[in-house]
Amino acid sequence: MADYDVVVIGAGSTGTAVARDCAMRGLRTLLLERDDIASATVGTCAGMISSGLKYMDEPEIVDMCSDEVVHFLRIARHIIMKNPILTPMLEMSDLSSGGNFAEEYSKRAESRDVPPVLFLTPEDSREIEPSLNPEIIASLYFEEYFIDPFRLCILQALDAKNHGADVKTYCELVDIDVKDGKIVGVVYFNRITREEKRVSTHIVINAAGPWASKVAKFAEAKVDLRLNKGAHVILDRRVVNVGVIAKAVDGRMIYLFPHENTTLLGTTAIDTWEDPDTLTASHDEIEYLLQSMEWVIPSIRDARIIRTMEGVRPLVADWKIPEGKVTRGYEIIDHSSQNIKGLISFTGGKLVMCRHMAEAATDLAAEMLRVETECKTHLEPLPGNEDDVDVLALAKEFDISQHAVERLRARRGTETRMILELTKDHPDWKTTICTCEPVIEAEIRYSIRHEFPQTLNDLRRRVRLGTGPCQATFCTYKAAAILADERELSGHDFQLDILDFLSERWKGKRPSFRREQIIQEEVAQGMYACVGNLDLTLGSVYTRKPWEDWS
Amino acid sequence: MSEEEAYEFVKGTLKEERIIPYKEDELEIIKSIEQCINCGICINHCPVVAGVGVDQFSGPRSIAVELSRSPPEFWTTGDKVYLCTGCGTCREVCPQSVNIPEIVNMIRARIFEHRPDLVPKELHKVLETIHAHEKAFAPWDDPEDKIDSRDMRLERLGLPLVDIESKESADVLFYPGCQAEEMAQEVKEAAKVILKRFDVNFAVLDELSCCGLPARLIGDEKTARELNTSLKEKIKSLGVKMLVTTCAGCTSNISDIAVRDNWDIPIYHMIEYLIEHIGIDRLQAEMASDTSATKITIHEPCHLIKHTSRQILDYAVEILQAIPNVEVITSSARDSCCGGGGMVAYHAPSVAKSVVGINLAAIDATSASRVVTPCPLCTATLEDNLYRSGIPIDVDDLTVFIATHLSME
Repeated sequence: MADYDVVVIGAGSTGTAVARDCAMRGLRTLLLERDDIASATVGTCAGMISSGLKYMDEPEIVDMCSDEVVHFLRIARHIIMKNPILTPMLEMSDLSSGGNFAEEYSKRAESRDVPPVLFLTPEDSREIEPSLNPEIIASLYFEEYFIDPFRLCILQALDAKNHGADVKTYCELVDIDVKDGKIVGVVYFNRITREEKRVSTHIVINAAGPWASKVAKFAEAKVDLRLNKGAHVILDRRVVNVGVIAKAVDGRMIYLFPHENTTLLGTTAIDTWEDPDTLTASHDEIEYLLQSMEWVIPSIRDARIIRTMEGVRPLVADWKIPEGKVTRGYEIIDHSSQNIKGLISFTGGKLVMCRHMAEAATDLAAEMLRVETECKTHLEPLPGNEDDVDVLALAKEFDISQHAVERLRARRGTETRMILELTKDHPDWKTTICTCEPVIEAEIRYSIRHEFPQTLNDLRRRVRLGTGPCQATFCTYKAAAILADERELSGHDFQLDILDFLSERWKGKRPSFRREQIIQEEVAQGMYACVGNLDLTLGSVYTRKPWEDWS
Repeated sequence: MSEEEAYEFVKGTLKEERIIPYKEDELEIIKSIEQCINCGICINHCPVVAGVGVDQFSGPRSIAVELSRSPPEFWTTGDKVYLCTGCGTCREVCPQSVNIPEIVNMIRARIFEHRPDLVPKELHKVLETIHAHEKAFAPWDDPEDKIDSRDMRLERLGLPLVDIESKESADVLFYPGCQAEEMAQEVKEAAKVILKRFDVNFAVLDELSCCGLPARLIGDEKTARELNTSLKEKIKSLGVKMLVTTCAGCTSNISDIAVRDNWDIPIYHMIEYLIEHIGIDRLQAEMASDTSATKITIHEPCHLIKHTSRQILDYAVEILQAIPNVEVITSSARDSCCGGGGMVAYHAPSVAKSVVGINLAAIDATSASRVVTPCPLCTATLEDNLYRSGIPIDVDDLTVFIATHLSME
């Protein structure tokens, strides 16, 4: 018997959803991730579980998206927020382009418990969002749901684990064993233990996103992808009351969405052949977004930009048409057609479809394995969504700030209590580690013990460590000390992890540096370079990242 | 759906999602808060943090970088933002001039609108009083008792009762504020004594109504605005050229709303008025020279030094130094707050007490036998706490101190 029925490659939104589905259906599952959960494409998205507003001319996809939103609201309500959204129009031609969208959107609105597309007067629009350009002639209004994309992936991975899957992060696929045109195993390199391991499996599901072609190549199979990069500019706090959608300089639609306690301005769409690992937002992309949004929000440049993020969409390989015309649907490739049995790959897709994609791929895998299974991923709650959480009662019971509990709840739902219970034996674990979110020590300890983070960056994805306006200026050394304590890291590794984390922050901060964030950076440099002396202490052993220019 | 119906629907969603849209005039405050670089200098200066520690009150920094970032979560910040005394020290020491006191008011206003049940219940009681009487303090049950209390206070201080006929053509409206109107009546009377001595053509309101500051600090923006409008109308109908008050809170609040609502008259604290309109020479000439030698120290009201102008306290020193036989001793209390601000004392007296504690120690350490302060609220708070702590130092409102040091006519 093989070690596994299914090996899933890639722990993004799709890979974790596949692992969860496979495990829930009783398949023996291994999830391999080269880096950390949600460390690439999904980690740079806006978190919108879109009802399909950008692809109204693909009605069957809109149907699917709309249904998936309903499923998410059932399984992951605790990590979802609703955003009211305005699309202000400055001229009549903006209005005419809204017609088809309004009709298609409104058809499916009721099932998601949102209104049909509404029209608002300029006066009412500006009551709702006073920073709108006073010259707007009307606004379209609709509502969309937003999920915490990091928590979604972590929860899917944890749920997969709870159902018996093995989840291995920092394990990079280095080969796929094929025998007689059939998948028989995979070889992976554990980047932490520096060991290579071979396991046998019947099926490999390639959910490697932008790296799907590379993964397929290990089995001498082929996946065509159209890689397309997109940038977001992240603003400090919610500077707008509601989401705002605007027509960009080139006629594409861009958005400004309140997200958690920040605001996201996005996004660009540029075909790319660059290395997804080292991409940073360019000056052109930042200006494209700012100038485009400036027409409807004239004060947008006054807002504080804390950082940028750049991700790569693994689009379906429709060539010689503009990016916007490429289908937003997904494709599942059964490589049997290329004479490789047992290999399944994805192309295309959107965050909102990840569960649906997983269901389709798992159905195919079950068929290949000749087992009868039933998908329940749309019915069973993800961890934490089992019940409501009384924030005020917990704050009182554990004598901790209500806001800290509310932020915990937004990440963890019913798990909040388990984390707070830790403070009974360790009252000092109520200490605020990240001042901006906030994050308390108990949550960091809990995450390290139960959510397999290896680095501070991994902790950031799990608890939003260092994502606020100060961009990890004040939490890094504290969180590193906790990680070192829990993992018994050497002083050297402790310092290296601090540098790695600060370097990852720098990657996003550097492209948009201006005003407040430069002042903020002086504080960070003062702490870690001038006081911590880290730039000199580790100068000889630290490997500079491609985006770091120390010259 | 018509546009009106659509807007009503949207308002429903906003309420459900706990979003009270920022108004246009609030955007400047949001912009100010965005300047925070999390340096934490404010934490070392915040009197509430110094008094109770960061576990109980997480301090101005947390208000800027954490609590104020996401309006849908404001409802969970009441346990912290209602502990801010609004002293304004953080804003003053901030290298980025982040406007913490105003964001606190904005957050409180949103908690009040969405979750009034999370506003401390003692503050709802204050609002009941304000709604019933347009004042922050309930009037006396028996008006005769109020007169008796006033007369006793005047007798103790040796001050005469100044009668003023309602003057149709007064230049100055003297506005004592709720505290001096109902409680510290000697402050109101002392001010009248001073104004009369310098032949100021002044009037007082027949029916004093609150300037709206307490309602605003509680978060009841609607009541605050109604009181602002009501006061503006009263003042406009009198046709006065300026307003003079003895209350620090009224000075800063009315100064702000007079600009915002186009009152078109200047607002003065009594101290400013004396220096800028009467002049130190005339003032000095009227001071008694036969008083006994007194060592005093000054308590600086937050609403003057941090919300209005530090110059007012320079004026106060100037006036005190012009009084014969008075020696001014500097207290070591910096960034001091009497604990009476922000309505904190109403619902968290232990916090207010910890805040004033820092002051008491500093005052006790001086060799002064008397504290003077140009604010009836600070006066009452300090007096009460010094007495309870067994520190034998008297407290005078500065207006009273000046009036009692005028020479006999």
